[in-house]
Amino acid sequence: MTETAPATPRGIDPRAPRFAAWITSVLLLVATFLGLIGIGGSRFDPAFVLTVVIALLFLWSVLSPTTSPWSVLFRRVVRPRLAPPTDLEDPRPPRFAQGVGLFVVGGGLLLHVLGVPLALPIATAMAFVAAFLNAAFGFCLGCELYLLLQRAGVLGRGPRAA
Amino acid sequence: MSPIPALLVLAALVVIAAVAGVVWRARDGRRRRGSDVVDLTDLGVTPGRVTLVQFGTETCARCPQVRRMLQGIASALPTVDHVDVDLTHRADLARAHRVLGTPTTFLIGSDAVLVARFNGVPRRADVEAALSELPLLQEAS
Repeated sequence: MTETAPATPRGIDPRAPRFAAWITSVLLLVATFLGLIGIGGSRFDPAFVLTVVIALLFLWSVLSPTTSPWSVLFRRVVRPRLAPPTDLEDPRPPRFAQGVGLFVVGGGLLLHVLGVPLALPIATAMAFVAAFLNAAFGFCLGCELYLLLQRAGVLGRGPRAA
Repeated sequence: MSPIPALLVLAALVVIAAVAGVVWRARDGRRRRGSDVVDLTDLGVTPGRVTLVQFGTETCARCPQVRRMLQGIASALPTVDHVDVDLTHRADLARAHRVLGTPTTFLIGSDAVLVARFNGVPRRADVEAALSELPLLQEAS
């Protein structure tokens, strides 16, 4: 086993993912509200449109974390008003968590389009809880899922060839 | 659903998330006692040494802060080692040591007995208290 951590990518300000998580929480809460009041209505209602936007934002953060809107907003507007970060954080965990968010919200959208009732508000509510825990408590639920997914055999199977 | 019940559902959702966060924060990093002998295979532990074994993955957001703290503790104590075990590609090790989340830290005595187990971010004082119970360190100090 390695005694030192493998080469890690350049660190990010740990407040950036927390800031993005607050915005994501609010968007998901609004989407859940729209989803609840839109039950039984048109399938392509405002809740659907907003959730598609949220899913695209998750996708953006997975593909290119540094150019995603909330990351740019943080760097341009928020960070100059804060003290410099005391230490930097590995960018991979929040990126993985954005992928988990995309999976949950994407699954909700798919089931919604297929006509499953309540799929959309349930998916956005689950994603809201995860984003809120990250924003308010610094607890990255998506990051914690890695080991459970690994145990289920979805990720990181078997020892890496030494 | 009309707007008022929908808002009530949202309020319940926020309360549930907040309670979950408070409960999680209270439980996180608490010391659990152990008495099992740990299988040291593939952990990188030098037999006969007191070792803080930290399990992490590439997606573990809070592992770097724990690594810095444990390295600080270990570097101040000549008889204590710090070892970082990356579980990203080692589901077998995660299963063998029943690691369900990261960071998880084991304090392993020189006789390979698990003295303490911390799930989450341990408090520095708790780690130091667990270390001070080890006979080897009491002799050294």
